[in-house]
Amino acid sequence: MRAAWRRFARERVALVGLSAVALILFGVIFGPMLLPYSPIAIDHATIGYPQAPSAAHWLGTDLLGRDVLTRALVGGRVSIAVGFTAMVVAIVFGTLYGAISGMAGGAVDAVMMRIVDALFSFPSFFLIITVEALLNRFALAIIVLILGLLSWMSVARLVRAEVLSLKQRDFVEAARAIGASPARLVFRHLIPNALAPVIVTATFSIGDNILAEAGLSYLGLGVQPPMPSWGNMLQDALLPAVRSAPWLIVTPGLLIVATLVAFALIGEGLRAAVDVTAA
Amino acid sequence: MIALIVRRIAAAVPLLLLISIISYALMGLSPGGPTAIFQQQARQLSPAARAEFIHTLGLDKPWYVQYVYWLGNLVFHGSLGVSYVDQRPVVVKILEKMPVTLEMLSIALVCTILIAIPIGIYSAVRRGSAFDYAATVLAFASYGMPVFWLSVIAIDLFAAHLHWFPASGIDAVGHERDPVDRLYHLILPAAVIMTVSLASWIRYQRAAMLNVLSELYLRTARSKGLSERVVIFKHALRNALLPTITLFGLNLPALFGGAFFVEFVFSIPGMGYLGINAIFQRDYPTVMALTMITAVLVVLGNLLADIGYGLADPRIAYD
Repeated sequence: MRAAWRRFARERVALVGLSAVALILFGVIFGPMLLPYSPIAIDHATIGYPQAPSAAHWLGTDLLGRDVLTRALVGGRVSIAVGFTAMVVAIVFGTLYGAISGMAGGAVDAVMMRIVDALFSFPSFFLIITVEALLNRFALAIIVLILGLLSWMSVARLVRAEVLSLKQRDFVEAARAIGASPARLVFRHLIPNALAPVIVTATFSIGDNILAEAGLSYLGLGVQPPMPSWGNMLQDALLPAVRSAPWLIVTPGLLIVATLVAFALIGEGLRAAVDVTAA
Repeated sequence: MIALIVRRIAAAVPLLLLISIISYALMGLSPGGPTAIFQQQARQLSPAARAEFIHTLGLDKPWYVQYVYWLGNLVFHGSLGVSYVDQRPVVVKILEKMPVTLEMLSIALVCTILIAIPIGIYSAVRRGSAFDYAATVLAFASYGMPVFWLSVIAIDLFAAHLHWFPASGIDAVGHERDPVDRLYHLILPAAVIMTVSLASWIRYQRAAMLNVLSELYLRTARSKGLSERVVIFKHALRNALLPTITLFGLNLPALFGGAFFVEFVFSIPGMGYLGINAIFQRDYPTVMALTMITAVLVVLGNLLADIGYGLADPRIAYD
Protein backbone atom coordinates (compact mmCIF):
# COMPACT_ATOMS: atom_id res chain seq x y z
CA MET A 1 0.00 0.00 0.00
CA ARG A 2 2.75 2.43 0.96
CA ALA A 3 4.72 1.37 -2.09
CA ALA A 4 1.65 2.02 -4.23
CA TRP A 5 1.30 5.48 -2.69
CA ARG A 6 4.96 6.23 -3.48
CA ARG A 7 4.44 5.15 -7.08
CA PHE A 8 1.29 7.29 -7.22
CA ALA A 9 3.17 10.31 -5.86
CA ARG A 10 5.80 9.85 -8.56
CA GLU A 11 3.15 10.27 -11.27
CA ARG A 12 3.19 13.99 -11.82
CA VAL A 13 -0.07 14.10 -13.77
CA ALA A 14 -1.82 12.31 -10.94
CA LEU A 15 -0.70 14.94 -8.46
CA VAL A 16 -1.96 17.66 -10.79
CA GLY A 17 -5.31 15.84 -10.87
CA LEU A 18 -5.39 15.48 -7.12
CA SER A 19 -4.67 19.18 -6.58
CA ALA A 20 -7.31 20.14 -9.13
CA VAL A 21 -9.94 17.96 -7.44
CA ALA A 22 -8.98 19.46 -4.06
CA LEU A 23 -9.29 22.96 -5.49
CA ILE A 24 -12.67 22.24 -7.10
CA LEU A 25 -13.99 20.63 -3.91
CA PHE A 26 -12.73 23.54 -1.82
CA GLY A 27 -14.37 25.98 -4.22
CA VAL A 28 -17.78 24.33 -4.33
CA ILE A 29 -17.88 23.70 -0.58
CA PHE A 30 -16.66 27.05 0.73
CA GLY A 31 -17.19 29.34 -2.27
CA PRO A 32 -20.95 29.83 -1.86
CA MET A 33 -20.43 30.79 1.82
CA LEU A 34 -18.15 33.65 0.76
CA LEU A 35 -20.45 34.96 -1.96
CA PRO A 36 -23.30 37.33 -1.05
CA TYR A 37 -25.85 35.82 -3.45
CA SER A 38 -28.41 33.06 -3.10
CA PRO A 39 -28.33 30.40 -5.81
CA ILE A 40 -32.10 30.49 -6.23
CA ALA A 41 -33.17 34.07 -5.45
CA ILE A 42 -34.67 35.57 -8.61
CA ASP A 43 -33.88 39.19 -9.51
CA HIS A 44 -37.14 40.43 -10.97
CA ALA A 45 -35.54 43.54 -12.43
CA THR A 46 -33.43 41.58 -14.93
CA ILE A 47 -35.65 38.60 -15.78
CA GLY A 48 -35.17 37.74 -19.43
CA TYR A 49 -32.03 39.86 -19.69
CA PRO A 50 -28.98 37.87 -18.58
CA GLN A 51 -26.29 40.30 -17.47
CA ALA A 52 -22.71 39.97 -18.77
CA PRO A 53 -19.89 39.42 -16.26
CA SER A 54 -19.24 42.53 -14.16
CA ALA A 55 -17.60 43.56 -10.89
CA ALA A 56 -20.76 42.67 -8.99
CA HIS A 57 -21.41 39.39 -10.82
CA TRP A 58 -18.02 37.97 -11.81
CA LEU A 59 -19.49 35.40 -14.17
CA GLY A 60 -22.65 37.31 -15.03
CA THR A 61 -26.26 36.40 -14.29
CA ASP A 62 -28.69 33.99 -15.91
CA LEU A 63 -32.10 34.35 -17.50
CA LEU A 64 -33.74 34.79 -14.09
CA GLY A 65 -31.15 37.25 -12.83
CA ARG A 66 -29.38 34.73 -10.59
CA ASP A 67 -25.61 34.96 -10.02
CA VAL A 68 -23.91 32.40 -12.31
CA LEU A 69 -20.82 31.93 -10.12
CA THR A 70 -22.94 31.14 -7.05
CA ARG A 71 -25.11 28.74 -9.01
CA ALA A 72 -22.11 27.08 -10.62
CA LEU A 73 -20.50 26.44 -7.23
CA VAL A 74 -23.70 25.19 -5.57
CA GLY A 75 -24.46 23.20 -8.73
CA GLY A 76 -20.99 21.70 -8.44
CA ARG A 77 -21.88 20.38 -4.97
CA VAL A 78 -24.95 18.71 -6.47
CA SER A 79 -23.19 17.31 -9.56
CA ILE A 80 -20.17 16.00 -7.66
CA ALA A 81 -22.35 14.56 -4.89
CA VAL A 82 -24.52 12.78 -7.46
CA GLY A 83 -21.42 11.51 -9.29
CA PHE A 84 -19.77 10.30 -6.10
CA THR A 85 -22.77 8.57 -4.51
CA ALA A 86 -23.78 6.90 -7.79
CA MET A 87 -20.20 5.61 -7.98
CA VAL A 88 -20.53 4.17 -4.46
CA VAL A 89 -23.80 2.44 -5.44
CA ALA A 90 -22.16 0.96 -8.55
CA ILE A 91 -19.03 -0.16 -6.70
CA VAL A 92 -20.90 -1.81 -3.83
CA PHE A 93 -23.36 -3.57 -6.12
CA GLY A 94 -20.77 -4.51 -8.74
CA THR A 95 -18.29 -5.81 -6.17
CA LEU A 96 -20.88 -8.01 -4.46
CA TYR A 97 -22.22 -9.24 -7.79
CA GLY A 98 -18.77 -10.05 -9.15
CA ALA A 99 -17.63 -11.71 -5.94
CA ILE A 100 -20.74 -13.89 -5.73
CA SER A 101 -20.46 -14.84 -9.39
CA GLY A 102 -16.77 -15.71 -9.07
CA MET A 103 -17.26 -17.66 -5.85
CA ALA A 104 -20.28 -19.60 -7.10
CA GLY A 105 -18.72 -20.67 -10.38
CA GLY A 106 -20.43 -23.10 -12.74
CA ALA A 107 -23.91 -22.43 -14.06
CA VAL A 108 -24.66 -19.59 -11.62
CA ASP A 109 -21.52 -17.79 -12.73
CA ALA A 110 -22.36 -18.36 -16.40
CA VAL A 111 -25.87 -16.95 -16.05
CA MET A 112 -24.73 -13.98 -13.96
CA MET A 113 -22.03 -13.09 -16.47
CA ARG A 114 -24.40 -13.41 -19.46
CA ILE A 115 -26.62 -10.83 -17.73
CA VAL A 116 -23.58 -8.54 -17.52
CA ASP A 117 -22.85 -9.13 -21.23
CA ALA A 118 -26.44 -8.30 -22.07
CA LEU A 119 -26.36 -5.03 -20.11
CA PHE A 120 -23.06 -4.17 -21.78
CA SER A 121 -24.67 -4.46 -25.22
CA PHE A 122 -27.05 -1.57 -24.59
CA PRO A 123 -25.87 1.92 -25.20
CA SER A 124 -25.93 2.56 -21.44
CA PHE A 125 -27.03 6.14 -21.84
CA PHE A 126 -30.08 5.12 -23.83
CA LEU A 127 -30.95 2.74 -21.01
CA ILE A 128 -30.56 5.49 -18.42
CA ILE A 129 -32.76 7.93 -20.34
CA THR A 130 -35.38 5.23 -20.91
CA VAL A 131 -35.57 4.32 -17.24
CA GLU A 132 -35.69 7.96 -16.14
CA ALA A 133 -38.37 8.82 -18.66
CA LEU A 134 -40.44 5.77 -17.75
CA LEU A 135 -40.18 6.35 -14.02
CA ASN A 136 -40.78 10.05 -14.52
CA ARG A 137 -39.52 10.81 -11.00
CA PHE A 138 -36.56 13.03 -10.38
CA ALA A 139 -35.69 12.95 -6.68
CA LEU A 140 -31.91 13.08 -6.26
CA ALA A 141 -31.92 9.63 -4.65
CA ILE A 142 -33.66 8.12 -7.68
CA ILE A 143 -31.21 9.70 -10.12
CA VAL A 144 -28.30 8.40 -8.04
CA LEU A 145 -29.79 4.90 -7.90
CA ILE A 146 -30.44 4.78 -11.64
CA LEU A 147 -26.97 6.01 -12.54
CA GLY A 148 -25.41 3.57 -10.07
CA LEU A 149 -27.53 0.56 -10.96
CA LEU A 150 -26.84 0.93 -14.67
CA SER A 151 -23.07 1.32 -14.42
CA TRP A 152 -21.84 -1.47 -12.15
CA MET A 153 -21.11 -4.03 -14.88
CA SER A 154 -17.44 -3.31 -15.48
CA VAL A 155 -16.81 -3.47 -11.73
CA ALA A 156 -18.55 -6.84 -11.56
CA ARG A 157 -16.38 -8.20 -14.39
CA LEU A 158 -13.19 -6.95 -12.75
CA VAL A 159 -14.02 -8.35 -9.32
CA ARG A 160 -15.12 -11.69 -10.75
CA ALA A 161 -11.87 -12.05 -12.69
CA GLU A 162 -9.85 -11.21 -9.58
CA VAL A 163 -11.88 -13.59 -7.42
CA LEU A 164 -11.46 -16.41 -9.93
CA SER A 165 -7.69 -16.05 -9.86
CA LEU A 166 -7.43 -15.32 -6.12
CA LYS A 167 -9.53 -18.26 -5.05
CA GLN A 168 -6.92 -20.68 -6.40
CA ARG A 169 -4.23 -19.09 -4.26
CA ASP A 170 -2.76 -20.78 -1.22
CA PHE A 171 -3.78 -18.17 1.34
CA VAL A 172 -7.44 -18.63 0.39
CA GLU A 173 -7.00 -22.41 0.54
CA ALA A 174 -5.46 -21.98 3.99
CA ALA A 175 -8.33 -19.80 5.19
CA ARG A 176 -10.79 -22.38 3.91
CA ALA A 177 -8.86 -25.18 5.61
CA ILE A 178 -9.11 -23.50 9.01
CA GLY A 179 -12.87 -23.28 8.53
CA ALA A 180 -13.56 -19.77 7.30
CA SER A 181 -17.16 -19.38 6.09
CA PRO A 182 -17.76 -18.41 2.44
CA ALA A 183 -18.88 -14.95 3.55
CA ARG A 184 -15.67 -14.49 5.55
CA LEU A 185 -13.63 -15.69 2.58
CA VAL A 186 -15.32 -13.15 0.32
CA PHE A 187 -15.27 -10.12 2.61
CA ARG A 188 -12.05 -10.75 4.49
CA HIS A 189 -9.80 -12.38 1.88
CA LEU A 190 -11.07 -11.95 -1.65
CA ILE A 191 -12.62 -8.48 -1.90
CA PRO A 192 -9.76 -6.63 -0.13
CA ASN A 193 -7.25 -8.22 -2.50
CA ALA A 194 -9.36 -7.42 -5.56
CA LEU A 195 -9.79 -3.79 -4.61
CA ALA A 196 -6.95 -2.09 -6.49
CA PRO A 197 -8.42 -2.22 -10.03
CA VAL A 198 -11.84 -1.39 -8.57
CA ILE A 199 -10.51 1.86 -7.09
CA VAL A 200 -9.11 2.83 -10.49
CA THR A 201 -12.51 2.20 -12.11
CA ALA A 202 -14.24 4.10 -9.31
CA THR A 203 -12.18 7.23 -10.01
CA PHE A 204 -13.26 7.28 -13.65
CA SER A 205 -16.81 6.38 -12.73
CA ILE A 206 -17.32 9.63 -10.77
CA GLY A 207 -16.63 11.60 -13.94
CA ASP A 208 -18.79 9.34 -16.09
CA ASN A 209 -21.67 9.86 -13.68
CA ILE A 210 -21.24 13.64 -13.74
CA LEU A 211 -21.45 13.49 -17.54
CA ALA A 212 -24.49 11.23 -17.41
CA GLU A 213 -26.24 13.57 -14.97
CA ALA A 214 -25.51 16.49 -17.30
CA GLY A 215 -26.98 14.56 -20.23
CA LEU A 216 -30.09 13.63 -18.28
CA SER A 217 -30.56 17.21 -17.11
CA TYR A 218 -30.12 18.50 -20.65
CA LEU A 219 -33.14 16.40 -21.63
CA GLY A 220 -35.01 17.60 -18.54
CA LEU A 221 -34.74 14.17 -16.91
CA GLY A 222 -32.13 14.99 -14.29
CA VAL A 223 -31.78 17.31 -11.29
CA GLN A 224 -34.83 19.57 -11.35
CA PRO A 225 -34.74 23.36 -10.99
CA PRO A 226 -34.56 25.53 -8.95
CA MET A 227 -31.82 23.29 -7.47
CA PRO A 228 -28.80 23.98 -9.68
CA SER A 229 -26.56 21.29 -11.15
CA TRP A 230 -24.01 21.70 -13.92
CA GLY A 231 -26.31 19.72 -16.16
CA ASN A 232 -29.47 21.77 -15.68
CA MET A 233 -27.48 25.04 -15.85
CA LEU A 234 -26.45 23.90 -19.33
CA GLN A 235 -30.04 23.07 -20.13
CA ASP A 236 -31.00 26.66 -19.24
CA ALA A 237 -28.03 28.06 -21.12
CA LEU A 238 -28.76 26.15 -24.30
CA LEU A 239 -32.28 27.51 -24.69
CA PRO A 240 -32.33 29.39 -28.01
CA ALA A 241 -33.50 32.52 -26.15
CA VAL A 242 -30.18 32.90 -24.30
CA ARG A 243 -27.76 31.72 -26.98
CA SER A 244 -26.41 35.26 -27.10
CA ALA A 245 -25.10 34.90 -23.52
CA PRO A 246 -21.96 32.76 -23.93
CA TRP A 247 -21.00 33.07 -20.24
CA LEU A 248 -23.99 30.88 -19.43
CA ILE A 249 -22.78 28.12 -21.76
CA VAL A 250 -19.07 28.31 -20.99
CA THR A 251 -19.07 28.27 -17.17
CA PRO A 252 -20.83 24.96 -16.40
CA GLY A 253 -19.32 23.28 -19.48
CA LEU A 254 -15.74 24.12 -18.54
CA LEU A 255 -16.36 23.12 -14.93
CA ILE A 256 -17.57 19.71 -16.13
CA VAL A 257 -14.54 19.29 -18.39
CA ALA A 258 -12.11 20.40 -15.65
CA THR A 259 -13.64 18.06 -13.08
CA LEU A 260 -13.66 15.08 -15.42
CA VAL A 261 -10.08 15.68 -16.51
CA ALA A 262 -9.00 16.01 -12.87
CA PHE A 263 -10.61 12.72 -11.86
CA ALA A 264 -9.27 11.00 -14.99
CA LEU A 265 -5.72 12.16 -14.19
CA ILE A 266 -6.03 10.68 -10.70
CA GLY A 267 -7.40 7.49 -12.24
CA GLU A 268 -4.47 7.22 -14.66
CA GLY A 269 -2.01 7.81 -11.82
CA LEU A 270 -3.66 5.17 -9.67
CA ARG A 271 -3.66 2.74 -12.58
CA ALA A 272 0.05 3.25 -13.08
CA ALA A 273 0.63 2.92 -9.32
CA VAL A 274 -1.29 -0.32 -8.76
CA ASP A 275 -0.26 -2.00 -12.01
CA VAL A 276 3.11 -3.42 -11.11
CA THR A 277 3.59 -4.91 -14.57
CA ALA A 278 3.63 -1.49 -16.25
CA ALA A 279 7.01 -0.27 -15.11
CA MET B 1 -12.75 -19.85 -38.40
CA ILE B 2 -16.18 -20.88 -39.78
CA ALA B 3 -16.74 -22.95 -36.65
CA LEU B 4 -15.91 -19.92 -34.54
CA ILE B 5 -18.39 -17.72 -36.38
CA VAL B 6 -21.16 -20.31 -36.10
CA ARG B 7 -20.46 -20.82 -32.41
CA ARG B 8 -20.39 -17.10 -31.70
CA ILE B 9 -23.68 -16.55 -33.52
CA ALA B 10 -25.21 -19.43 -31.58
CA ALA B 11 -23.99 -17.81 -28.36
CA ALA B 12 -25.45 -14.47 -29.43
CA VAL B 13 -29.01 -15.83 -29.58
CA PRO B 14 -29.46 -16.38 -25.82
CA LEU B 15 -27.69 -13.08 -25.24
CA LEU B 16 -30.18 -11.24 -27.45
CA LEU B 17 -33.07 -13.06 -25.75
CA LEU B 18 -31.76 -11.86 -22.41
CA ILE B 19 -31.43 -8.33 -23.74
CA SER B 20 -35.03 -8.38 -24.94
CA ILE B 21 -36.26 -9.67 -21.56
CA ILE B 22 -34.34 -6.96 -19.71
CA SER B 23 -35.71 -4.19 -21.90
CA TYR B 24 -39.24 -5.51 -21.68
CA ALA B 25 -38.96 -5.72 -17.91
CA LEU B 26 -37.79 -2.09 -17.84
CA MET B 27 -40.88 -1.04 -19.76
CA GLY B 28 -42.90 -2.71 -17.03
CA LEU B 29 -41.41 -0.19 -14.57
CA SER B 30 -43.42 2.66 -15.93
CA PRO B 31 -45.67 3.91 -13.11
CA GLY B 32 -48.64 4.69 -15.36
CA GLY B 33 -48.20 1.29 -16.95
CA PRO B 34 -47.87 0.98 -20.70
CA THR B 35 -51.41 2.29 -21.06
CA ALA B 36 -50.28 5.80 -20.12
CA ILE B 37 -50.04 6.92 -23.73
CA PHE B 38 -53.49 5.62 -24.52
CA GLN B 39 -54.98 7.66 -21.73
CA GLN B 40 -54.32 10.64 -23.98
CA GLN B 41 -54.98 9.06 -27.36
CA ALA B 42 -58.11 7.30 -26.29
CA ARG B 43 -59.62 10.11 -24.27
CA GLN B 44 -62.37 10.58 -26.84
CA LEU B 45 -63.32 6.92 -26.63
CA SER B 46 -65.96 5.69 -24.24
CA PRO B 47 -64.58 3.72 -21.27
CA ALA B 48 -65.86 0.49 -22.79
CA ALA B 49 -64.30 1.20 -26.19
CA ARG B 50 -61.04 2.15 -24.51
CA ALA B 51 -60.97 -1.07 -22.49
CA GLU B 52 -61.62 -2.96 -25.72
CA PHE B 53 -58.79 -1.10 -27.49
CA ILE B 54 -56.33 -1.78 -24.67
CA HIS B 55 -57.43 -5.40 -24.56
CA THR B 56 -56.83 -5.90 -28.32
CA LEU B 57 -53.29 -4.63 -27.93
CA GLY B 58 -52.80 -6.92 -24.94
CA LEU B 59 -51.88 -3.98 -22.72
CA ASP B 60 -54.07 -5.20 -19.87
CA LYS B 61 -51.76 -8.19 -19.37
CA PRO B 62 -48.65 -8.17 -17.14
CA TRP B 63 -45.37 -7.37 -18.91
CA TYR B 64 -44.14 -10.94 -19.09
CA VAL B 65 -47.30 -12.08 -20.88
CA GLN B 66 -46.91 -9.19 -23.31
CA TYR B 67 -43.31 -10.20 -23.75
CA VAL B 68 -44.33 -13.70 -24.82
CA TYR B 69 -46.70 -12.20 -27.41
CA TRP B 70 -43.96 -9.85 -28.60
CA LEU B 71 -41.48 -12.70 -28.95
CA GLY B 72 -44.02 -14.91 -30.71
CA ASN B 73 -44.72 -12.13 -33.18
CA LEU B 74 -41.02 -11.70 -33.83
CA VAL B 75 -40.28 -15.41 -34.27
CA PHE B 76 -43.37 -16.46 -36.24
CA HIS B 77 -44.15 -13.31 -38.21
CA GLY B 78 -40.78 -11.56 -38.23
CA SER B 79 -42.55 -8.49 -36.88
CA LEU B 80 -41.38 -6.12 -34.17
CA GLY B 81 -44.85 -4.64 -33.82
CA VAL B 82 -46.42 -1.37 -34.93
CA SER B 83 -45.76 2.06 -33.50
CA TYR B 84 -48.34 3.37 -31.02
CA VAL B 85 -47.95 6.82 -32.49
CA ASP B 86 -48.65 6.33 -36.18
CA GLN B 87 -49.50 2.61 -36.42
CA ARG B 88 -46.68 1.96 -38.92
CA PRO B 89 -44.49 -1.14 -38.58
CA VAL B 90 -41.56 -0.12 -36.40
CA VAL B 91 -39.08 -2.08 -38.51
CA VAL B 92 -39.93 0.13 -41.48
CA LYS B 93 -39.62 3.27 -39.34
CA ILE B 94 -36.21 2.24 -38.06
CA LEU B 95 -34.84 1.06 -41.40
CA GLU B 96 -35.70 4.47 -42.83
CA LYS B 97 -33.63 6.16 -40.14
CA MET B 98 -30.71 3.76 -39.99
CA PRO B 99 -28.66 4.83 -43.06
CA VAL B 100 -28.17 8.42 -41.86
CA THR B 101 -27.01 7.30 -38.42
CA LEU B 102 -24.69 4.66 -39.79
CA GLU B 103 -23.24 7.08 -42.34
CA MET B 104 -22.60 9.70 -39.67
CA LEU B 105 -21.06 7.19 -37.27
CA SER B 106 -18.88 5.64 -40.00
CA ILE B 107 -17.45 9.03 -40.96
CA ALA B 108 -16.81 9.78 -37.28
CA LEU B 109 -15.22 6.39 -36.63
CA VAL B 110 -12.92 6.44 -39.66
CA CYS B 111 -11.70 9.96 -38.84
CA THR B 112 -11.23 9.03 -35.17
CA ILE B 113 -9.10 6.04 -36.08
CA LEU B 114 -7.03 7.93 -38.64
CA ILE B 115 -6.25 10.70 -36.16
CA ALA B 116 -6.04 8.81 -32.86
CA ILE B 117 -3.82 5.90 -33.86
CA PRO B 118 -0.81 7.92 -35.07
CA ILE B 119 -1.13 10.19 -32.02
CA GLY B 120 -1.29 7.20 -29.68
CA ILE B 121 1.70 5.51 -31.28
CA TYR B 122 3.84 8.62 -31.36
CA SER B 123 2.92 9.42 -27.73
CA ALA B 124 4.11 5.99 -26.68
CA VAL B 125 7.36 6.18 -28.67
CA ARG B 126 8.11 9.63 -27.23
CA ARG B 127 6.79 8.80 -23.78
CA GLY B 128 7.21 11.69 -21.35
CA SER B 129 7.87 14.22 -24.11
CA ALA B 130 5.98 17.48 -24.57
CA PHE B 131 4.03 15.80 -27.38
CA ASP B 132 2.99 12.98 -25.06
CA TYR B 133 1.75 15.43 -22.43
CA ALA B 134 -0.11 17.49 -25.03
CA ALA B 135 -1.76 14.35 -26.43
CA THR B 136 -2.71 13.25 -22.93
CA VAL B 137 -4.28 16.62 -22.19
CA LEU B 138 -6.13 16.53 -25.53
CA ALA B 139 -7.37 13.02 -24.84
CA PHE B 140 -8.63 13.87 -21.37
CA ALA B 141 -10.27 17.11 -22.47
CA SER B 142 -12.05 15.21 -25.23
CA TYR B 143 -13.18 12.58 -22.72
CA GLY B 144 -14.56 15.24 -20.39
CA MET B 145 -16.75 17.16 -22.81
CA PRO B 146 -20.52 16.65 -22.68
CA VAL B 147 -21.41 15.81 -26.27
CA PHE B 148 -24.51 18.03 -26.39
CA TRP B 149 -22.48 20.98 -25.07
CA LEU B 150 -19.85 20.49 -27.74
CA SER B 151 -22.62 20.17 -30.37
CA VAL B 152 -24.14 23.50 -29.38
CA ILE B 153 -20.76 25.23 -29.35
CA ALA B 154 -19.92 23.74 -32.74
CA ILE B 155 -23.22 24.98 -34.18
CA ASP B 156 -22.73 28.46 -32.70
CA LEU B 157 -19.17 28.73 -33.95
CA PHE B 158 -19.06 26.93 -37.29
CA ALA B 159 -22.64 27.39 -38.44
CA ALA B 160 -24.05 30.55 -36.85
CA HIS B 161 -20.89 32.70 -36.86
CA LEU B 162 -18.60 31.37 -39.56
CA HIS B 163 -21.29 29.90 -41.85
CA TRP B 164 -18.96 27.07 -42.84
CA PHE B 165 -21.48 24.30 -42.28
CA PRO B 166 -25.26 24.03 -42.03
CA ALA B 167 -26.60 24.15 -38.48
CA SER B 168 -29.05 21.29 -38.69
CA GLY B 169 -30.82 18.73 -40.81
CA ILE B 170 -29.39 16.45 -43.47
CA ASP B 171 -30.50 18.00 -46.77
CA ALA B 172 -30.71 21.46 -48.22
CA VAL B 173 -34.03 22.24 -49.90
CA GLY B 174 -33.89 20.96 -53.47
CA HIS B 175 -30.95 18.68 -52.68
CA GLU B 176 -32.77 15.73 -51.15
CA ARG B 177 -30.86 12.50 -51.76
CA ASP B 178 -27.82 14.40 -53.06
CA PRO B 179 -24.90 12.47 -51.51
CA VAL B 180 -22.51 15.42 -51.59
CA ASP B 181 -24.98 17.68 -49.84
CA ARG B 182 -25.70 14.89 -47.33
CA LEU B 183 -22.00 14.59 -46.57
CA TYR B 184 -21.72 18.35 -46.17
CA HIS B 185 -24.52 18.25 -43.59
CA LEU B 186 -22.97 15.34 -41.71
CA ILE B 187 -19.42 16.72 -41.37
CA LEU B 188 -20.08 18.89 -38.33
CA PRO B 189 -22.06 16.30 -36.32
CA ALA B 190 -19.53 13.61 -37.24
CA ALA B 191 -16.70 15.90 -36.14
CA VAL B 192 -18.40 16.35 -32.76
CA ILE B 193 -18.69 12.59 -32.28
CA MET B 194 -15.09 12.18 -33.38
CA THR B 195 -13.89 14.76 -30.87
CA VAL B 196 -15.52 13.02 -27.93
CA SER B 197 -14.36 9.56 -29.00
CA LEU B 198 -10.71 10.47 -29.65
CA ALA B 199 -9.84 9.98 -25.99
CA SER B 200 -10.41 6.26 -25.68
CA TRP B 201 -8.65 5.47 -28.98
CA ILE B 202 -5.58 7.60 -28.20
CA ARG B 203 -5.22 6.17 -24.69
CA TYR B 204 -5.82 2.60 -25.83
CA GLN B 205 -3.36 2.82 -28.70
CA ARG B 206 -0.75 4.46 -26.47
CA ALA B 207 -1.11 1.72 -23.85
CA ALA B 208 -0.92 -1.02 -26.49
CA MET B 209 2.24 0.50 -28.00
CA LEU B 210 3.87 0.94 -24.57
CA ASN B 211 3.14 -2.70 -23.89
CA VAL B 212 4.88 -3.79 -27.08
CA LEU B 213 7.80 -1.41 -26.54
CA SER B 214 8.67 -3.20 -23.31
CA GLU B 215 8.89 -6.58 -25.09
CA LEU B 216 12.20 -8.35 -25.15
CA TYR B 217 12.10 -9.10 -28.87
CA LEU B 218 12.52 -5.38 -29.51
CA ARG B 219 15.70 -5.42 -27.44
CA THR B 220 16.86 -8.31 -29.61
CA ALA B 221 16.05 -6.34 -32.74
CA ARG B 222 17.95 -3.32 -31.47
CA SER B 223 20.93 -5.34 -30.31
CA LYS B 224 21.35 -6.93 -33.71
CA GLY B 225 21.87 -3.42 -35.02
CA LEU B 226 18.52 -2.52 -36.60
CA SER B 227 17.79 1.17 -36.76
CA GLU B 228 15.20 2.58 -34.36
CA ARG B 229 13.00 3.32 -37.37
CA VAL B 230 12.91 -0.30 -38.49
CA VAL B 231 12.39 -1.50 -34.92
CA ILE B 232 9.38 0.77 -34.43
CA PHE B 233 7.75 0.51 -37.82
CA LYS B 234 8.51 -3.08 -38.80
CA HIS B 235 8.65 -4.88 -35.48
CA ALA B 236 6.57 -2.99 -32.96
CA LEU B 237 3.82 -1.34 -34.96
CA ARG B 238 1.98 -4.39 -36.20
CA ASN B 239 1.72 -5.97 -32.77
CA ALA B 240 0.67 -2.68 -31.22
CA LEU B 241 -2.17 -2.24 -33.70
CA LEU B 242 -3.70 -5.64 -32.99
CA PRO B 243 -5.32 -5.03 -29.58
CA THR B 244 -6.88 -1.84 -30.91
CA ILE B 245 -9.09 -3.93 -33.20
CA THR B 246 -11.04 -5.07 -30.14
CA LEU B 247 -11.71 -1.47 -29.16
CA PHE B 248 -13.98 -1.22 -32.20
CA GLY B 249 -16.41 -3.65 -30.59
CA LEU B 250 -16.04 -2.23 -27.09
CA ASN B 251 -16.64 1.29 -28.28
CA LEU B 252 -19.84 0.74 -30.26
CA PRO B 253 -22.35 1.31 -27.44
CA ALA B 254 -20.67 4.61 -26.58
CA LEU B 255 -20.74 5.58 -30.25
CA PHE B 256 -24.49 4.98 -30.45
CA GLY B 257 -24.93 6.81 -27.14
CA GLY B 258 -23.19 9.86 -28.60
CA ALA B 259 -25.35 9.68 -31.71
CA PHE B 260 -28.50 10.15 -29.63
CA PHE B 261 -27.45 13.57 -28.42
CA VAL B 262 -25.81 14.73 -31.61
CA GLU B 263 -28.86 13.83 -33.67
CA PHE B 264 -31.07 15.53 -31.12
CA VAL B 265 -29.11 18.80 -31.12
CA PHE B 266 -28.47 18.85 -34.90
CA SER B 267 -32.05 17.74 -35.72
CA ILE B 268 -30.76 14.81 -37.75
CA PRO B 269 -33.59 12.37 -38.43
CA GLY B 270 -31.68 9.23 -37.49
CA MET B 271 -32.10 6.38 -35.04
CA GLY B 272 -31.18 8.52 -32.03
CA TYR B 273 -33.70 11.22 -32.86
CA LEU B 274 -36.34 8.55 -33.38
CA GLY B 275 -35.33 6.95 -30.08
CA ILE B 276 -35.53 10.10 -27.97
CA ASN B 277 -38.92 10.99 -29.44
CA ALA B 278 -40.18 7.45 -28.95
CA ILE B 279 -39.09 7.54 -25.30
CA PHE B 280 -40.88 10.81 -24.64
CA GLN B 281 -44.01 9.61 -26.47
CA ARG B 282 -43.95 6.28 -24.62
CA ASP B 283 -43.95 4.49 -27.95
CA TYR B 284 -42.83 1.17 -26.48
CA PRO B 285 -42.76 -0.94 -29.65
CA THR B 286 -40.38 1.57 -31.23
CA VAL B 287 -38.18 1.84 -28.11
CA MET B 288 -38.10 -1.96 -27.81
CA ALA B 289 -37.21 -2.46 -31.47
CA LEU B 290 -34.54 0.25 -31.40
CA THR B 291 -32.98 -1.29 -28.31
CA MET B 292 -32.95 -4.71 -29.94
CA ILE B 293 -31.56 -3.50 -33.25
CA THR B 294 -28.83 -1.46 -31.54
CA ALA B 295 -27.96 -4.47 -29.40
CA VAL B 296 -27.78 -6.68 -32.49
CA LEU B 297 -25.45 -4.14 -34.13
CA VAL B 298 -23.27 -4.09 -31.02
CA VAL B 299 -23.12 -7.88 -30.80
CA LEU B 300 -22.31 -8.05 -34.53
CA GLY B 301 -19.64 -5.39 -34.12
CA ASN B 302 -18.01 -7.37 -31.34
CA LEU B 303 -18.13 -10.52 -33.47
CA LEU B 304 -16.51 -8.67 -36.38
CA ALA B 305 -13.82 -7.31 -34.07
CA ASP B 306 -13.07 -10.80 -32.76
CA ILE B 307 -12.90 -12.27 -36.25
CA GLY B 308 -10.72 -9.40 -37.41
CA TYR B 309 -8.41 -9.95 -34.46
CA GLY B 310 -8.21 -13.66 -35.27
CA LEU B 311 -7.39 -12.95 -38.91
CA ALA B 312 -4.80 -10.31 -38.09
CA ASP B 313 -3.00 -12.21 -35.36
CA PRO B 314 -1.92 -15.75 -36.21
CA ARG B 315 -1.04 -16.35 -32.54
CA ILE B 316 -4.72 -16.29 -31.59
CA ALA B 317 -6.11 -19.79 -31.95
CA TYR B 318 -9.84 -20.24 -31.41
CA ASP B 319 -10.38 -23.81 -30.33
